[in-house]
Amino acid sequence: MSTVASPPRDFTYIKPRKRRLSEYEAVTCYTQPDPNVFDRQGWYLLTPEGRAAWRPESTRLQHPHWYDFRDPSGTWQRSYVKLQAEQERAIERTVEDAALAGVLRDIDPVWLREIIGIHYRVWSFFEYGLFRAFSRAQREALADTLGNALCFEAVDRIRHAQSTVLYLLELESNVEGFKDDGAKEHWMTAPAYQPLRLLVESLMATSDWAELAFAVNLIIDPITTEIGVSRLVRLHGPHHNDPITPAIILTTERDRRRNLAWTEELVRMTAAPGAAHAEENRVVMLNWIARWTPMANAAARGFAPLFDRFAPGARSFGDELAAASITQSALIDSLGLMRVGGK
Amino acid sequence: MRNLIEAHNRVKDFDWDPSYVTKPVWYPTKYKIPAKTKDPFRHLVRDYLSMEEEKDNRQYGSMEDALARGQASSQAQPRWMEIMKAVLPILNFGEYAAMKCTGQLIDTIANAELRQGYLAQMLDEVRHTNQEAYLMRYFAKHAADSEGFAQGFKLRGTNMFNRAGRAAFETFFVGDPIEGALNLQVVAETAYTNPIFVALTEIAASNGDQVTPSVFLSIQSDESRHMANGYSTLAAVISNPDNLPALQIDFDRAFWRQHAFIDPFVATVWDYFQTNRTTSYSEKWLEWIDADWIGSYIERLAPFGLKVPRDYETARERVPWLGHTAAMVAFGAWPLQFWRFDPLTAQDMDWFELKYPGWHGHYGKFWEEYGRRCDPRGGELALSLFPSLPPLCRVCQMPCVFPRIDISTCRVREFEGRKHAFCTSACELIFNQEPHRYLGYKTFYELFDGYDLADFIVENGLLRADGKTLIAQPWLNQEHMWTIDDIRAVRYEIRDPLRTH
Repeated sequence: MSTVASPPRDFTYIKPRKRRLSEYEAVTCYTQPDPNVFDRQGWYLLTPEGRAAWRPESTRLQHPHWYDFRDPSGTWQRSYVKLQAEQERAIERTVEDAALAGVLRDIDPVWLREIIGIHYRVWSFFEYGLFRAFSRAQREALADTLGNALCFEAVDRIRHAQSTVLYLLELESNVEGFKDDGAKEHWMTAPAYQPLRLLVESLMATSDWAELAFAVNLIIDPITTEIGVSRLVRLHGPHHNDPITPAIILTTERDRRRNLAWTEELVRMTAAPGAAHAEENRVVMLNWIARWTPMANAAARGFAPLFDRFAPGARSFGDELAAASITQSALIDSLGLMRVGGK
Repeated sequence: MRNLIEAHNRVKDFDWDPSYVTKPVWYPTKYKIPAKTKDPFRHLVRDYLSMEEEKDNRQYGSMEDALARGQASSQAQPRWMEIMKAVLPILNFGEYAAMKCTGQLIDTIANAELRQGYLAQMLDEVRHTNQEAYLMRYFAKHAADSEGFAQGFKLRGTNMFNRAGRAAFETFFVGDPIEGALNLQVVAETAYTNPIFVALTEIAASNGDQVTPSVFLSIQSDESRHMANGYSTLAAVISNPDNLPALQIDFDRAFWRQHAFIDPFVATVWDYFQTNRTTSYSEKWLEWIDADWIGSYIERLAPFGLKVPRDYETARERVPWLGHTAAMVAFGAWPLQFWRFDPLTAQDMDWFELKYPGWHGHYGKFWEEYGRRCDPRGGELALSLFPSLPPLCRVCQMPCVFPRIDISTCRVREFEGRKHAFCTSACELIFNQEPHRYLGYKTFYELFDGYDLADFIVENGLLRADGKTLIAQPWLNQEHMWTIDDIRAVRYEIRDPLRTH
């Protein structure tokens, strides 16, 4: 008679990051097949052009086993949807309460027209471009844990974009004379926003999924979004009787923190001292920093006149940009990218 | 009160024509899609999130609470539970491939209405991937026999049916994005998700598995939106007559690729893993595929220039036999699988003869012989009933044995100095259209030809925690289970049937 001793009561093929397998790891890890992992035969279908389902050259970074990646937030679909449904409900209630309390009508009309109606609405096009870029990046990522993080970021971005549209509709309904029109024209032609449009069009044309995440989460959000949204709109909204837009922006900053954390983890995994190909990866990332930082700064500089008009008495635009750059540099520095050997 | 129509109009006005940087064409398509069409369904991200959160709470809540307390999984019919070990890893890759398909569509299809539908589907597919992995783990924790559930996502890599499933579902995202949408949304989701996620849950429930229906029906509530995506995509493609010649070729191929795997596989699951018997797969196929998908959907597109798939009639004729023949291979080759099998009883066989007249004449003898080869003490494998393992189709990866072994349409031909097997003329034609698309991998026999079966089992991790008993078994008997020593004693060599062909 054969006996079966202690049958496994959990997945046996995933190496947990901590002591026990997390729910996130269980439902995410190894859902993407890989000929170098369990799928020895390779890919059964090629495109007419001869490419396979996934290609190692989809990123210039190298890693012997991309499946080692873990999103530090442990986000999977259920936790993601729960969080974002809560955030959207919070926005909806805040705006509804503000409308009923007359708060929307009290917002400085010039701020409302020029910052919310144009500048902040223009931002929704930028976010939409990022949604497109991240949707495509998730297709290409070389492991499920990475593809899912990219996919969630894509949905973050479309959430931000749509949320702005819905907010402006509420403003139209509640503030006499306010119209959501003209932002797209600014996006397409106003000189202030052309560096921002160039930036996102460049991101949309970036084939490397890791470069996209690196550029957006470690360079562009900490500089361009920090200046154009957090410092200008979130910080100065209350000075223009606008406590509502900052509340909406806080939900996007929560998403930004999650996306920053997983991107930092990606950098650590590929460039930390002792990691395979760390030095080659570090050089690749330095090239990315050199490529994207000037573009991120140029896009932020487009907002300088708005600071002069809507943030008087506070720090100058130059000081704001310098502060954001210092914080961003410190972020890069903390990852060891500026030092040979990462030490 | 939100002005919904205006909100929808505005969220569809995000697109612009980039003027600074031209995006490379990453996923070439031969189709021309109009820039504006009908929105397949009107959902803002906000509404979508709220709806999905509620569905998640219902499904996971029931799994965590009442179903677990009631030990629902451990009380289900073991015959049924065993096949879920095979089903979930296959389905899971289908969902994952679908997520990649929608990424390609969002990138390629410059149409705001369609993109709106694809974006919700993208997150849906992550949902389904997670749900099915969660269910697999749930069964690993709660099912009477966890072996196979605990390793299924690993073992699918070298399993003959899971490999064929992967081959079918790679079509979702490897190639022209519209061809992917035809495979995924128009064929797999519109034709086949109803039998899989709705009708199959009746079988699950009547066999004591109350958990799978909770998950599958929740999945299906998303699938109806994906069908709408498929319809809208197809309508957009059809609206330009220039697309029609390529569309028909891709549609014919999409139907065959999905049929060639899904029908034999699901028919086997359906008919051979029920204990408390209900309907047959053939009956459900006529209802869902023939009457519903073809009759109420595809045939109605004829005035717009799309015809019923070229090989549809062949498929229809094959369906009554496919499951029986696939089951014969699956049961016969049980040591290569990672689930247990339950031999047919006399009652089962009566049911088969009733549902599939003539069944006994073609398959009865196999089942009698199979029953005699379940006990390891007999020292004889069911594999010995066949001259060799079957050739595997170069295109669909299914065994070349269909529709029945006595009238198999298997064909072998040489291409670039190598022999290739095809299960049907349809798969051979698909190969002939673009041979290089099907030559990028090593065949099963290129990897394992000449292996002793015992070595294959050990190398591929097909043993239980004790390190000697096989995960797969030809019967559910727990007193007499096959061990690796039993297999080694049989001395069965895996041989490439094309070597002697």
